[in-house]
Amino acid sequence: MWQLLNSDMEILVESDFIYLPLLFDPAIENEVQNLLRQGRPMKNPGHPQSKTIITHQDRQFVKALSIHSVLENYEVINAYDYNHLRKEFLRKYQLTREVDGILLDDTLKTILFQVMPYFIRKNRGLRRKKLSDEEILDLIGAKIDIPEKYYKEAKTFRHVEPLKAILKGLESQKPTFNPPGNGLLSTHQLRDWFHEAVHAKISAREHDRLTRALQIRLQFSQAKPEHAALLLYIADTGSLEIDGFGFTRKSAYKVEYFVYKRIGEYTLKDYYARSYLFPDCRVALSTYTPFRPFVMEKYKHPFLLRHKSGQEICMKHFAPPNEFTAENAIRILEEGLTALRYGYDARRRNGYHSLDRTWVHIPTIDFEEYRI
Amino acid sequence: MNLLHHIKRKRAKQKRKQPIRRNVFNQICSLVIEYDLKESFLGDLDNVEDDLPGENLNFNRVKLKTPLESSLFSLATKDEYSLTMSIIGKVNNAYLKFANSPEEILLCGPLYRLNPALTNQKLMRYHFQTLLLHERAKANREI
Repeated sequence: MWQLLNSDMEILVESDFIYLPLLFDPAIENEVQNLLRQGRPMKNPGHPQSKTIITHQDRQFVKALSIHSVLENYEVINAYDYNHLRKEFLRKYQLTREVDGILLDDTLKTILFQVMPYFIRKNRGLRRKKLSDEEILDLIGAKIDIPEKYYKEAKTFRHVEPLKAILKGLESQKPTFNPPGNGLLSTHQLRDWFHEAVHAKISAREHDRLTRALQIRLQFSQAKPEHAALLLYIADTGSLEIDGFGFTRKSAYKVEYFVYKRIGEYTLKDYYARSYLFPDCRVALSTYTPFRPFVMEKYKHPFLLRHKSGQEICMKHFAPPNEFTAENAIRILEEGLTALRYGYDARRRNGYHSLDRTWVHIPTIDFEEYRI
Repeated sequence: MNLLHHIKRKRAKQKRKQPIRRNVFNQICSLVIEYDLKESFLGDLDNVEDDLPGENLNFNRVKLKTPLESSLFSLATKDEYSLTMSIIGKVNNAYLKFANSPEEILLCGPLYRLNPALTNQKLMRYHFQTLLLHERAKANREI
């Protein structure tokens, strides 16, 4: 596509479609001849059948691309160029921070307010009660040290006036673009039009993002400054760990997380009732499919195929759910933890490997170093 | 052979991979695009007989065949296509698909007239000028 726009040919625009000069070989010529012979209207732009090939000034053009489709999918078609244009735009309006977007993230909210309370110690003594969102934030705030800079940022974050001003400025300078008119265009004219259109699209998208961010900030302005600082800290670092439960943001996909729970040290017994002490590891779940528990560290266990990191835990009757919800996340983590701790049956030697050495001449994982 | 065998053989034949054959359009179109040939080339094609050197050819001027990487499927603009078709129409002989340079297109006609029974191997291997010299020398010897 980009090669096409960088070339120096003439193209035809008709009813929001790009028509390219028709290239010939004998088979194509035959086809065109047949189309002409059947008396199909070729020059009538409004006619649906005339749109595959158009004759314009004795030159034939063939239908190639929908302008709107290219514009809609430009982000995927030419990701590098789109990101470059977007960065330029954001720099122009000083909108480089994307904290608001992360705070809007529903997955993070689910992990923080629904999954985390299940795994951390909430109450002292025998009192049991369900915590509200604010109480959860208080609890997290009490357990972790938030750097001072986030408190400062929270103060400025609660001021919505600068954002309102930016939004107003964006609205006043909103670029408008019209679809290119029908007729012959040079590629550089089309390229310029594309740049304008992509610019306008980015502008509209950023306008939406800022409007939503403004809503969030208005909500924040009523919240406690400590809570705002805590959320900013989480949004910035993307990870948190309390009482062995935690989550960390995936580096490749910024809106996806690994939710994990530390298993702690535990012992398993082999066929001869000898004990093996297994080290701590993190049993994790990705917020992106497949929703199966896995061990984050390099680890070995009868239920793990190899001795390496990121292995799925072997569970016979486990049916992974189709979507990420708090209940599913809790269930998957619990099942993973239970399988590692209690799933191994010394009599049956189930799983990929046996704890005690068997006299089968197949190379397998050895657990002798864990024996106590 | 019963009907079942016949159908099976026919289907097996249809399924078999067909090698891509040398196509005169692809070859000439590639040359037109590669050497950026213009309409004036058709004029050269008309005057080729007049420009050919006569008896004073010597064997020291043996040329090597120019390697050409012709595309498997050529697509041409309208001008290139009409020029390609004009060349094919004008030369119109079986040697044309073995031409690897515009010079060989020009020599295609005279060579065919001298000997229309050259093998494909020879046409692929030797420059048409070499073959032309050879054919002329052979004709002179017979006289």
